[in-house]
This record gives sequence, C-alpha cells and structure tokens, in this order.
Amino acid sequence: MNDAVRVESLYKTYDNGVTALDGVSAAFASGTFTAVMGPSGSGKSTLLQCAAGLDEPTAGRVFIGGTELTATKDTARTKFRRGRVGFVFQDYNLLPSLTVEQNVLLPLRLAGKRRKDPKAILGRLGLGDRTHELPERLSGGQRQRVAVARALVTEPAVIFADEPTGALDMRSAREVLTLLRAVVHEFGRTVVMVTHDPVAAAHADSVLFLADGRLAGSLARPTAEAVAERLAHLGDLTTRIAA
Amino acid sequence: MIAIALRNLKHRPGGFIATFVSAFLGAALLMAFASLMDTGDSESLTTTATVGGGWCLVIVAFAVTSTLSLSVRQRADQVALLRSAGATGPQLRRMIVGEAAAIAVLASAAAVPVGWVLGRVLLSLLKDTGQVDAGVGYQFGAIALGTGFGVTLLGAVAAAWATARRTAGNAGGKPERPRLRRIGAVLFLLAGANCSILTATVMDGKGVDAMQTAGQAGIWAAIGLALLAPELLRMVTAVVGPVVRALGGVAGELAVTGVHSRSRQLAGAVMPVVLFTGVATGTVYMQGIEDRAAEGQIQPEYAQDIQTLNYVVVGMIALFVAVMLVNTLIAATARRRREFAQHRLAGATRGQLLAMVSLEVVLVAITGVLGGSVAALFTIVPFGSARAGHLWPDASPWQYAVIVTLAVLLTAAATVQTTRRTLRGPATAAIRA
Repeated sequence: MNDAVRVESLYKTYDNGVTALDGVSAAFASGTFTAVMGPSGSGKSTLLQCAAGLDEPTAGRVFIGGTELTATKDTARTKFRRGRVGFVFQDYNLLPSLTVEQNVLLPLRLAGKRRKDPKAILGRLGLGDRTHELPERLSGGQRQRVAVARALVTEPAVIFADEPTGALDMRSAREVLTLLRAVVHEFGRTVVMVTHDPVAAAHADSVLFLADGRLAGSLARPTAEAVAERLAHLGDLTTRIAA
Repeated sequence: MIAIALRNLKHRPGGFIATFVSAFLGAALLMAFASLMDTGDSESLTTTATVGGGWCLVIVAFAVTSTLSLSVRQRADQVALLRSAGATGPQLRRMIVGEAAAIAVLASAAAVPVGWVLGRVLLSLLKDTGQVDAGVGYQFGAIALGTGFGVTLLGAVAAAWATARRTAGNAGGKPERPRLRRIGAVLFLLAGANCSILTATVMDGKGVDAMQTAGQAGIWAAIGLALLAPELLRMVTAVVGPVVRALGGVAGELAVTGVHSRSRQLAGAVMPVVLFTGVATGTVYMQGIEDRAAEGQIQPEYAQDIQTLNYVVVGMIALFVAVMLVNTLIAATARRRREFAQHRLAGATRGQLLAMVSLEVVLVAITGVLGGSVAALFTIVPFGSARAGHLWPDASPWQYAVIVTLAVLLTAAATVQTTRRTLRGPATAAIRA
C-alpha cells in the first residue's frame, strides 16, 4: 500500500525556545483513518500542521502522496496544499461572508479548477437543503460537516482534522466522526485526526501516541478504554520524567 | 473597571494608536486656531479662528468618533470574554468610556506644543499679510486649551458611550441600526444643503464671509454622504461589480461577494475617502474662486500673502483628513487578519488575497471619490454663485485630478501595505491570535 503521508525526522522549535517536535518519523497509509493522541503540549497539533504544510518544520521532510512538500516556498506550498491536502479545524474556519456552497467550492475556485456541482457531496452529508445559507445560520455540527465537504471537494490525497469534535456536543461529534469514517471507507480517502478524546479516537483504525514531541507507541483497532489507559500511562511517564 | 481600562492601555497600546493619532492631530489643529482668540479680539483674528476652527471642529469631532468606534468594535472579542467572565453592561461601558477619556486627555496634552507652534505660524502669517498689527504678542491660553481638550474629550467620550452601548449592551451584541445612521445622514445632508442655500442667498454680496457657510456646507454634506457609505458602496458595486468579476477572476468574485456581505465594514474605509475628496476639493476650489474674485479688490502686495494664508489653512485641514484616511484604513485592514488567515487556510495564496484587496480598493476608491465630489459641489456651486456670479467655476480641472489621484494612491498604499504586513507569518498563528 502507498503512503499518503510520510514525515521524516521532523523537528520544530518555536521562537520562544519551546521544542514541539523532537524528531518524529511516521507514515500514514492510503485509505486509513489514524488518530494522533497525546497529553497537552505533546506536539500533536504541530505535527499535523507541519504535515499539512500549514506550518514549517525547523528540520525534517514531509511527503504527500510521494511528493516532497517541505523545501517549497509559501505560495508554491499553498498551491500544492489546496490540490492535495484537505484540512478540518476545531473552529470550522468557514468564511462567514460566503454561503455553504461558496465555502465548499472555494478551494476549487482558488485553484482555478472548473466549478463542479457540490450538490452530490452536500446531499451525501445531509446538507442538501442548506446550500445557500450563511454559516452563522448553521449549528456547530452542520458547520463541521460543511468543513468536511470543503476538505473533500478537491479529492485530496489526505484530510487532516485537528480536534474536529472539540467544539461539538456528543451527538454532533458522533455524526462528524461517523462522517470521517465514511470519508475513508466509502470515499476511499485518508484521514489523520488529532484528538484528546479517547471516544473520538476509537472511531479510527489505529492510534498513534505522542509525548514530549516524540512518538510513544501505537494501537491498532482501538477501543475508548484501551486508549484512555494508554493516555493515563503516558501522562504518568511525562510527569515522572519532569520530576 | 477603570483599573482594567488603564491596564488595557498599558498592555496593548497598539490597539489605541489610531484613536490617539486622530485625537492628537485634531486637538493640535483646534488649539492652533483657538489660540488666535486668546491672542486678541481683532476682526481678522476672530474670523480666521472661527472659519478655520469651525471647519476643524466638525472634522475633528467626526474623525475622533469614527476611529474610536472602529477601535472599540475591533475588540468585540475581548468585550465578549469579559462579559462571559461576569462583567455587566454598565461595567463594560465604564471600561470603554474610561479608555477613551484617558486617550483623549493624553493626546490633547501631547498636542499642546504642536498646537502652540501651529498657532504661532498662523499669527505670523496674519502679521505678514498686514491683517494683524505687528506688535501683537502671541498668547496661548484658556480658549486654546479649553477647546483642544474639551472637543477631543467630549467627542471621544460621546463616541465611546454610543459604541459601548452597541458592543456591550447584551451578550450577542446588538445589531447595527441602519435607520438611525440613515436619519443622521439625512440630517447632515440637510444641514449641508441649508448652508449651501444660505451661501447663495444671504451671503451673496457679503464677499469673503461667504467662505464660512460655503466651507461648512461641503463638510456637513461630506459627513452625510460618508454615513451613507454602505448604501453608496452597494450601488457602485452593482454597477462596477460585473466588470471587476469578469476581469478579476476568483479574486474579483471574492471582492464583490465581500462587498455584499461586509458592506458595513468596508464602508469604514469609504468614509475617510469621501471626507478627504470632499473637503480637499471643496476648499481648494472655493479658494480658487475667492482668489479670482478678490483680484483688484485688495492691495496687490497683500493679495499674494492672503492667498498663502488661506492655502496654509486649507493645507492643514487637508493634511489632517489625509492622516485620518491612512489611519482609518490601516486600522480597518489590520482588523481583517483572521479573515485573511481563513482564506489562506482554504487555499488562497498571498497573491490572490492581495489581488482581492486591490479590487476592493478599486470599489472603495470609486465610491469615496464619487461621494466626495458630490459633497464638494455643496461648497463650490453656491460659493461660485455668491462670489463670482456663476455656478460652475472657470477653474482648471487639474487640482481636482491631483486630489483624486492622491485619494486613490493613499487608499491603495495604506490598504495594500497593511494587507501585506498582515499576511506575514503562518496562517495558523493568525487564526489563534
């Protein structure tokens, strides 16, 4: 199986001296749903943003679908990203001035690609009757579904999701997670999701653990209980090292 | 809450620069003109002080209120945060008003030396033109300080009060009341028309005194039209929008969509363009008409000097409005940091965003120049009728061309440069901030 995303010894040190990533290497196979977990400050969000080309690693390389993303400049990286990478954020980041349909089509329009009918995707996501609404009129769960539709529209090699259920109630969260599963198993995409919620992680095919900017093991076919136990253990480990 | 207000000023001075600059320059101008009244009560001193000062008064009050409401709205997030932490509406109002009062006092105090120097310059010009006796000594006293501090403080506090009512009124923030704004616009336009009619009727044959009402007419009209900026912008976009869309591709489409859904925010950029074009065109052409009408009436050796004095006054006011234009545009653009970042996260390149903003500038500039030109007619037409006997000035259009070019260049430079700066750094950082 091909790797949709591969990162090689990623390092990220911020201007204030904080090291968020301390040599992370990992590969995410095509057609899989992976959750990335770890205590706060473990570097999971930084890993996602560097892998997605939203942030620049201090050192290391990122490959998306076999093409190296690092070593390109911002504009080139943006152009590459909008064709090959989808991103779903905790706070949706939909443009408030654009309708649902315009939001979903925005990446295509920005890439200068031919307009495509978003009705199929929006209908599949249960938003068929909301296409001309502004985001402010939608519930959190609906907004996140629009964000998923926007991430899907360019048919990217990979979709990154950063705490996609962080701002949602339990029911909406479950809907979005089921949708992300469908994105992988029905649309054949690859999803990498950062979360701190063991229940959310249990929807993934496998879980990758991160602590102090380094890999700290993985878990296949996770259950919420198993994930919670591993996380608690990681927390203990971090505390012991700090002490 | 006053303690929080002062802490805000100390902690985030950047957010208050726009208000400070407009209050500072405004207070300096007002002090300069008012100090002439401290200096003496001869007719030329009083006339210069009331004409020049009268124009400034309205413009300064408007500049301070508009920049202040912009900076308060910019901090809606902080206000929401304080509300959720349990701050009541009146407490937030006290905080916002307290901040505004503190800025106004600081800015006025800093303006004292500048106002003093400007006042001296005006007096020496009056002496050079023989309008004031050479022996008169310069005085900077109670009237200068009272007007400078008073107007700035009152304008700031009133604006803060009104804006705070809207932002801090309830948790969701009250929606803007377009009806109130439109009524205000109509009132200002009526005041302008009233001054125009007075100029053409009562002031006809009163010579140079007609300048006072004619100048006011243009300023009132400019403010009235500036208040109608959202409507004007939508009208211009309806006409020019299809062209922008066709030529600008996706950037053009985003610019046009942005105008429709964010016309109120973009109107903040249109306002100063209307004011600058209107006030500058009106006063410069009025002065041109006056120069020609006065030919032969005044002793030739003084005529040149009096022109100089008047152009200095016009120049000071135009400069103030130009600073306000740049100031407002920088504040209004920097505020869009998060919106720009969201576009970038959706895949927009910096180039595409700069193209979008540039096309918005085109729409803003067209609207502002149109509104300003109409406002200038409120001054030029009646003054020409009263002073020269015909409505349309036989002046060359090049001054108008210079003013319009300046307005467009300032708008474009301030907006595009600020956008460029706002786009620095990764978009993810801008989203978090």
